[in-house]
Amino acid sequence: MNLAQMAWRNVWRRKRRTLITAFSIGFGVLLAATFTGMAVYMYGNMIDASAATGFGHVTIEPAGYNRTPTLDKRLSDSARLRQEVLVEPGVKAAMVRIMGQAMFASAAKSVGGMFLAIDPQQESAEYNLLIRSMVKGRVFPNRTGTGIVVGRKLADKLNLRIGKKLVYTTTDTNGEIVSEIARVSGMFATGVSEIDTGMVLLPIDRVRKVLAYAPDEATLLATMLLDQRKSDKLRQRLEDRVGGAGREVLSWRQTQADLAGMITIDGSSNYISQFLVALLIAAGVLNTLLMSVLERSREFGVMMAIGMSSRRLFRLVMVESIWLALIGLTIGIALTAPVYWYLDIYGLDFSSMLGGEDYSVSGVLVDPVMRIRLHAESITTILSIVFGLALLSGIYPAWRAGHIPPIESLRTI
Amino acid sequence: MTTQIHTNNPDVQDIVRLESVSKIYQQGQLEVRAVDNISLEIDTGDFCALCGPSGSGKTTVLNMIGGLDVPSSGRVWLENRDLASLSRSDVAQIRRDRIGFVFQAYNLIPVMTAYENAEFVLKLQGVAEKECHERVMRVLQEVGLEGLEHRRPDEMSGGQQQRVAIARAMVTCPAIVLADEPTANVDSHTADALLDLMQKLNREEGVTFLFSTHDQRVMDRARRLIRLHDGRIESDEASH
Repeated sequence: MNLAQMAWRNVWRRKRRTLITAFSIGFGVLLAATFTGMAVYMYGNMIDASAATGFGHVTIEPAGYNRTPTLDKRLSDSARLRQEVLVEPGVKAAMVRIMGQAMFASAAKSVGGMFLAIDPQQESAEYNLLIRSMVKGRVFPNRTGTGIVVGRKLADKLNLRIGKKLVYTTTDTNGEIVSEIARVSGMFATGVSEIDTGMVLLPIDRVRKVLAYAPDEATLLATMLLDQRKSDKLRQRLEDRVGGAGREVLSWRQTQADLAGMITIDGSSNYISQFLVALLIAAGVLNTLLMSVLERSREFGVMMAIGMSSRRLFRLVMVESIWLALIGLTIGIALTAPVYWYLDIYGLDFSSMLGGEDYSVSGVLVDPVMRIRLHAESITTILSIVFGLALLSGIYPAWRAGHIPPIESLRTI
Repeated sequence: MTTQIHTNNPDVQDIVRLESVSKIYQQGQLEVRAVDNISLEIDTGDFCALCGPSGSGKTTVLNMIGGLDVPSSGRVWLENRDLASLSRSDVAQIRRDRIGFVFQAYNLIPVMTAYENAEFVLKLQGVAEKECHERVMRVLQEVGLEGLEHRRPDEMSGGQQQRVAIARAMVTCPAIVLADEPTANVDSHTADALLDLMQKLNREEGVTFLFSTHDQRVMDRARRLIRLHDGRIESDEASH
């Protein structure tokens, strides 16, 4: 019989204790996978929603625009830059945009806010949260018209309906105050109060004319990726290719610093909680293995007496901890799979708990239906950490098994 | 592949030699001399018993000969090797290759069958599978356990378990078998059968047996009786 077989049989000598310990490991896997997966889903969702609000996952901007977003800073040659970006692997879309501050006035009153000037041919519901959230009317059909899409709450404030006019006033590149009339073609309701009360969509060429921009000028090129986790890598690649010459290439971490900070803090506290749970589980595994070793002191004494080395005994107990870890991981996967399936397909709907229409955190849209998303590397990390902790827990009992002098073990009855 | 340690020197007459061996235990402030300045030799082929009342030092002497305990003073030689000069792993190797142990109780590994318990030490030695099988089956037959190879200890009687322990002790062809109260936990009929077996092995295989015992049946069969009292040799004589 080899060590692995012997260890396997030893693990099952106390079935109930082994199963209890294995289930605790399994629940550890379930907790880690569920918390991590739900956090990954929520963060990814928020990052994608924030990216779809204006800046994208990666943004090319005029130098200094992120610190002071004034309309005198602009990118030239935006069409060519867009083509350069679109050939990068992993890029889903790239949109040339102008973003700036303006006053919006109707016959009723005036309100300050932001405009996002777009080319409707480049945009879609998938990449633009405002377009995705349309509730009335439609987006203007081209870049040159006089259409405007407003947030529903802004429309309520200014007493606007589809077809009614409003005036927007801003500052052009020469520092002059300029105004333009636009006719409401559509309304959106994102659920984020700051966006619904303060943002509008405008045709980009009409805005260029108002601001005295050249035909190819813009304030930002927003890039949407297939996988937002690759933002930093793409940022670096674009920085190397098109950076400099008065341009900055920024990831969402820089353009959405508040969101990045919130994710970092929330993620850290999530990991701390999981670490504490893991410690508890490791303590349970240590207790089980130590009890098992102490119960078998006499048996180990006999084994050493007949010639088994302490090193081999150490390996025997370590293999037992490996088996225990593997059984625990198997139970963990079996417990996690149906939970993952349910959360992936149906999720947990917190709409009623959130109440009202505003499903946002720090101005970023939050999906009220909590789902789960686990990437391959997360699964590998979770399983590796749980396995590693179980093994670490076995080291002291294994050392203890091999280091009690046989004469003392043999005295144990 | 591990290496067996064995001596085939025909000039080795004394399997075991103790030179002025003492073992002192500290019990709080008190010093207990479990073994007090013992010198003795065990010859090849001996069938001898260490006897005496409880606390006389029998088991302590046996443990020191088996390398399980270290004397406080004096030397223990096994086949002309001073055990004190060897490392822990070398001593473990000697126990594996040259000594067979039979204990009073809890001899066997509970998760292993009779066959697996008997082959355990051969596996530690790295003996090939085929040779393992031949030797184990032969020795199980010798101890009268043919047909019971697949039983686990909890499926065997006390006497059968001791037979497996003897088989395990014998399968490596050791220089000496150290048996600590081997008949203590079995009935008299089984004890007689076990002693018959060990005598047969001693007679036919030439294996040296050293018992630690206060069982009169063992003493009656031993050819040499070494009586201990308070850690000293009281007498050392051939019994018949």
